[in-house]
Amino acid sequence: MVTKVLIANRGEIALRILRACRTLGIGAVVAYSEADRESLAAQLADEAICIGPADAKHSYLSAPAIISAAIVTGCDAIHPGYGFLSEDEGFAEVVRAHDLTFIGPSAEVLERFASKEATRRLLSAHGLTTIPGSSMLRDEEHAFAEAERIGYPVLIKPSAGGGGKGMRLVRTSRELETSLKVSRSEAMAGFGDDSLYLEKYLEDNRHVEIQVAVDRFGNAIHLGDRDCSVQRRHQKIIEETPSPALSDAARRELAERALGAVAAAGYESLGTLEFLVDGNGDAYFIEINCRVQVEHPITELCTGIDMVALQIKIAAGEPLGITQNDVVFRGHAIEFRILAEDPAKDFRPAAGQVGAYLAPGGPGVRMDSHLYPGYEIPSYYDSLLGKLCVWAPDRAGAIARGDAALRELLVDGVTTNIELHRAILANQVFIDGKVTTNLLDRVGSAPFVAAGNR
Amino acid sequence: MPARSQSDKPVPAGGDDALRRQRDHDAIARLADDLLPALIAKLAASGLGEIEVREGGWKARLRMPATVNEPRRNAGVAADSHAGAAHAAGRGAASHARTEDRDRRPREPEEVEPPDRIVAKSPAVGVYQPLRDLTVGMRVRAGDRIGSVNVLGVNQDVVSPVDGIIGSSLAEAGEAVEYGQELVRIELPEPAAGAGAARPELEPAGVAGKA
Repeated sequence: MVTKVLIANRGEIALRILRACRTLGIGAVVAYSEADRESLAAQLADEAICIGPADAKHSYLSAPAIISAAIVTGCDAIHPGYGFLSEDEGFAEVVRAHDLTFIGPSAEVLERFASKEATRRLLSAHGLTTIPGSSMLRDEEHAFAEAERIGYPVLIKPSAGGGGKGMRLVRTSRELETSLKVSRSEAMAGFGDDSLYLEKYLEDNRHVEIQVAVDRFGNAIHLGDRDCSVQRRHQKIIEETPSPALSDAARRELAERALGAVAAAGYESLGTLEFLVDGNGDAYFIEINCRVQVEHPITELCTGIDMVALQIKIAAGEPLGITQNDVVFRGHAIEFRILAEDPAKDFRPAAGQVGAYLAPGGPGVRMDSHLYPGYEIPSYYDSLLGKLCVWAPDRAGAIARGDAALRELLVDGVTTNIELHRAILANQVFIDGKVTTNLLDRVGSAPFVAAGNR
Repeated sequence: MPARSQSDKPVPAGGDDALRRQRDHDAIARLADDLLPALIAKLAASGLGEIEVREGGWKARLRMPATVNEPRRNAGVAADSHAGAAHAAGRGAASHARTEDRDRRPREPEEVEPPDRIVAKSPAVGVYQPLRDLTVGMRVRAGDRIGSVNVLGVNQDVVSPVDGIIGSSLAEAGEAVEYGQELVRIELPEPAAGAGAARPELEPAGVAGKA
């Protein structure tokens, strides 16, 4: 049973959770940091409580502050939102130790899926394809044999590395021979460890993810896919569903395979399995997100299912109450992440006070945002101002509604990426549904904006 | 805690004094070089209020800045009659019903605070307990502990931000309080009162005149 939820997050997702609680008829308390005293969620909530200073380490990331706030306000559950402590198994464990319900997977489930490497092995054992890779390279002979087996092009990756450091792309055995030596000495210099391995390089890949929901009684459904290929430096900017990269048959096959694997591996709660899809339509599993996603509204628009409410239900120990046959996909939806950053200045985060603010409207238009006129954007957190989501019976209709809505959306006082969104919508590659994850970084955003202004 | 075993080193010649001094230096060096950095990391990660370690005859205590520095800064803010003071004023419980707050917007400081209005604030969200012998009129120094807020069984100190005199209570014993909530008013001694009453080193500077 969940009767009163402490919302341990901020911005638009705090508001989204508050709305789900009200819809379900359960109480909600918004926990806020000193910098968010004037936030919309804190103002709209029936109850709100300050849990710490602006620095997230002592507020939204402080387990004692959050749990203490839940206890003194009489809450019996904590919703962590996304980011912050949402996938922290230690936090989930402490929440449970205080007889509170963590709205998300249990500590055991979070722990099982905590390591990317272990998760890939686990789900690969349950039938998901992962990106082909080698074991640690023993010598040149071994490297050549492994590269031949995986198929060029391959990435040479340092075992001790991270964040793309020391990584090299090679397309032939000759390149591999020369690059191996360089990579070894670089890895030794950079990480004090010259172990290397190979991974298949997926050129021009698409990012496609599958949304699932699993309850503790073994009921499991998928809620379709989302395409998140419009990215800048691995940050999603535009998401849509269904993915234009997959045929309907491939879509169903991938969703069912993902759901089967994750359910067999013992997952429980809402979850998202992320895949890279290559030019041949082959999908490689990369990671799982054990929380509600930023881009969940487009799934809601196409299925009519309130996913945050569903997540709360699962955490409360109730059965899903719906089967796969009840999940009907209608039309096409697109989400635009409205960010306070300046595309002309290398996307530097912009801060400031919002002047006029006007959310767009009309059929199939949904704006999830915590903005209001006069709102002072705190500089301590991320740059997400809101999510503009549009729905239409087909993709062309959704693009048209998206453009109309972006033209209506008014955010004065801060620089935003609204114009970049319009430019992307007008771009032929996007219209053709052929955007790959590297496109924006390869071309740069300036040509998009320039072309959009013509 | 990676505590290394004591004195495998050769004992320096020169009697007990030199030996003791050597041990003290070793202990302090270990505190400063090994234990403190580890403690700082641990304190930051745990969200606990305070941690203490001993090494030889020495001990070091680390306190989260929220309980020590924050109130001083806040005191300056409150004394400047910042709107934040008005916001929290008159609020009974930590979690407050918002209905009466709504017509508060757009926020202006509604009441002009007297310039010497200084309060001790809650360092955390939890249950407030004033010191048992805390009484109105009691003299306190800046940094003196005047109560605590219990956060999941760990007490965090409520301290006076300035040298002054305990004024009225703004929260009850056993009450649930939020971070930054005003708990106890601290009155400044009358500048014109007897010479003994005023302290020259009052904080924050400029709030109270020198006698």
